[in-house]
Amino acid sequence: MSDYLLQQLANGLILGSMYALVAIGFSMIYGIVRLINFAHGDIAMIGAFTALAALMAADLPIIVVVLAVLLVGAAVGLAIEAVAFRPLRGAPQVNGFITSLAVSVLIQNTGILVLTAEPRSVAFPAFLSQPIAGLPITVDLVDVLIVVLAIVLMAALGAIVNRTRLGMAMRATAENLDVARLMGINVNRAIMAAFAIGSALAGMAGLMWGARYGQIDPMMGFLPGLKAFVAAVIGGVGSIPGAMLGGYLLGLAEVLFVGLLPPEYAGFRDAFVFGTLILVLLVLPNGLLGRAAEDRA
Amino acid sequence: MSGTARGWSLAAGLTVAGAVAVWLATASLNNYLLTLIAFAGINVILAVSLTLANGLTGLFSLGHPAFMMVGGYVAAILTFPASRKGFMLPDLPDWLAAQQWPLLPALLAGGAAAGIAAVIVGFPVLRLRGHYLAVATLGLIFILRAVVNNLDGYTRGALGLSGIPRLTDLWWVYGWAVATIFVCWRVKQSSLGRTMMAMRENEMAAACMGVPLARTRLLAFAIGAILAGIAGGLWAHLVTNLTPTSLGVFLAFQIVVMIVLGGQGSITGAAVAALGLSAIANLLRPVEQTTGLYGLTQIVVALVLIGVLIFRSQGLFGSREPAFLQGKAVPSLPERQPATPDNTDPQRGST
Amino acid sequence: MPVPVLEIDAAQVWRGQTHVLHGIDLTVGEGEIVALIGANGAGKTTVLMTISGLLRPRDGAVRYRPHGGDPVDLARLAPEAIVGLGIAHCPEGRQVFASLSVRENLLIGAYLRRDRVAVAADLDRVVARFPILGERARLPAGSLSGGEQMMLAIGRALMSRPRLLLLDEPSLGLAPQIVETIFDILGDINRAGTTLLLVEQNAAMALELAHRAYVMETGRVTLSGAAADLADNPEVRRAYLGAADETMAGR
Repeated sequence: MSDYLLQQLANGLILGSMYALVAIGFSMIYGIVRLINFAHGDIAMIGAFTALAALMAADLPIIVVVLAVLLVGAAVGLAIEAVAFRPLRGAPQVNGFITSLAVSVLIQNTGILVLTAEPRSVAFPAFLSQPIAGLPITVDLVDVLIVVLAIVLMAALGAIVNRTRLGMAMRATAENLDVARLMGINVNRAIMAAFAIGSALAGMAGLMWGARYGQIDPMMGFLPGLKAFVAAVIGGVGSIPGAMLGGYLLGLAEVLFVGLLPPEYAGFRDAFVFGTLILVLLVLPNGLLGRAAEDRA
Repeated sequence: MSGTARGWSLAAGLTVAGAVAVWLATASLNNYLLTLIAFAGINVILAVSLTLANGLTGLFSLGHPAFMMVGGYVAAILTFPASRKGFMLPDLPDWLAAQQWPLLPALLAGGAAAGIAAVIVGFPVLRLRGHYLAVATLGLIFILRAVVNNLDGYTRGALGLSGIPRLTDLWWVYGWAVATIFVCWRVKQSSLGRTMMAMRENEMAAACMGVPLARTRLLAFAIGAILAGIAGGLWAHLVTNLTPTSLGVFLAFQIVVMIVLGGQGSITGAAVAALGLSAIANLLRPVEQTTGLYGLTQIVVALVLIGVLIFRSQGLFGSREPAFLQGKAVPSLPERQPATPDNTDPQRGST
Repeated sequence: MPVPVLEIDAAQVWRGQTHVLHGIDLTVGEGEIVALIGANGAGKTTVLMTISGLLRPRDGAVRYRPHGGDPVDLARLAPEAIVGLGIAHCPEGRQVFASLSVRENLLIGAYLRRDRVAVAADLDRVVARFPILGERARLPAGSLSGGEQMMLAIGRALMSRPRLLLLDEPSLGLAPQIVETIFDILGDINRAGTTLLLVEQNAAMALELAHRAYVMETGRVTLSGAAADLADNPEVRRAYLGAADETMAGR
């Protein structure tokens, strides 16, 4: 394999890690409340700015920054659920997603109001941007950490969902809310857990975005968030393993689309992603690992 | 404004009253204010035309800005001074580069192009439902943006088309707003409109009664897109420059806010909400600028929208038109139930 | 009649915009099997949903007396609290969690119980009663047949150690022999000390199993009494047991 292709694959893996982390939240939240949370990508933005604040203002060690981002992400997710989504539970689906769009606009513009729309650079500790020696391709330490951390977080998520009482309650609630209540499950708590966990992972993806690309701004979350939704659709919305798979597939596909086609096609990158969305929804409405469709196509 | 004589005379009276208002405005207001009013009028066209798909038919589209882009670019390329086309848009074929159309045919061509685009994308996309349709139509904005960016020999790409002749004035906007309201009102009161509402309420039942689902959906989507394309043309000739990012997600959001506030399916509601929202935005803009609180307008709008969805999800008018505008001949369908959750309220007792 | 565990008093229940129960009175005694029969749409399922808390009455009371103690008003409680009081609701159409394993389905029935040792013992007991569930423990519940899913749904309900078990149409969509088996098991469960409130379309089987029964029509109780008496009642025989009626036949 040529070094060039190897480099592209590495880049795709890194981008895919971030998509996967965001896509998981889309799927978890959809799975449990049947709602696409358009504001999910903006939580990544909040995560990125949390990292910026923790690094610049407090100069905290990187592990503390990571924990802070997870916590802030979870808190934002819980707040959104309580304020905007819980009052609408049971309302028509359309109202739910208009609300989430409004929350997205609200978060972005609050960001602009407080931080201005100017992009800012995030200065992560210098040791993170050291290239890994002895490889034929350019990979920095931060890239390796992104991929490793994403895998660790996903393994932890898998353990929570499949091995704990809370995880079982979440799966049961996702499948049948009323019957879950008949089992004694506090479904509000299960829904809050899904928002908290999904949003923490999205916040983490935002930190990674800042660490890899160096610049962040209040609008940064929306488009990658939508693309992560596309990833969730590819995997099958509602399926957590599907979201992971979809995230990596989309990350790789997007990078390879730009890297392998002649440069004049590079500008069609976003068009490619959304074209893929439409195609997947039409050809494979349940995604690769999703369960039978409700009303998506 | 239904088939009765009273309805027609009321419609004519309102149209004349509006024209008098426009005439007074053009005679007394300065250019800046007139431009703001023209924007408000374009918003009316956008909101009312989206009502057909989003409100009446229950197809939740966020793609209006994409169709505006189609209509805006097509119209702008057609009216662009032929003398500058060769230099700015080198890839245009000669026959097209030689054209320099007046506004009306250019707008119509833009609307037609947007309608054709809607039919082409509608075939696959309209098979989707709910938020899948919403995301797919949002995706259209990004797809079109990429296309415009990359056809830079025709569109000047990311630089955008600047120096579009300023042909739009308040009269043009008023005329098209009246035409849009008229078209949508007639559609709503026609059997096509009732078909659309039947589909919104219960698609399967509508299909059982022999409603051609796919064709009706496509028609609602395409009529809205044609009008959006015309609005895009008006917009381009008012602002005089058009870039791939001029018409984007925020605009899609704002149009949606208008139809939600107005009551999904209500033409009067959409028009009133479009005017009201434009007024609020224009009042808040100077506040934003003097205080430096950029983003304030959108924050207020988003909060209002969330509040409306939680506390009055039927909006101002529900799906209806106010009684005094209704003739007696055509009974309106009962208002859509706000689809409250039944008894199985997951909240019960746990908060 | 034995000590009542459950008393429904003049309950008025709405589902959305529809007034379904128009003042229902119903009593279930300790250790009884009570059947609730009636046509489709009579409101039988609504009665069970009102007891288990999925619906809340607009008026009237739903009183539960755990261990003969002070009555608890169920109308004020959420379903998740009601399970904790010892009422399990086995819903219509089985509704097992298809993507969870059989074992997880059983464990989730004991969701509120913290005594792991006792839960493990009950798990063994349920598997002893329904051996097929032991064989399929690791498979997703969605892969079971209809009858197996019914057994799983009953087993899941038993895992909460209910004093009162609400069953909604346990015979629905199942083959006759399987229905026989299920009803035998329900008899066993009752003899082991659990009170049953059974909603059934299959009135003949329900009246055979039950001690007492209520007949519902359009949101009201129209008849009640000992199951054997109802089974002999000519009106019940004609309307619900499919017996040929002489006067009708004579016309």
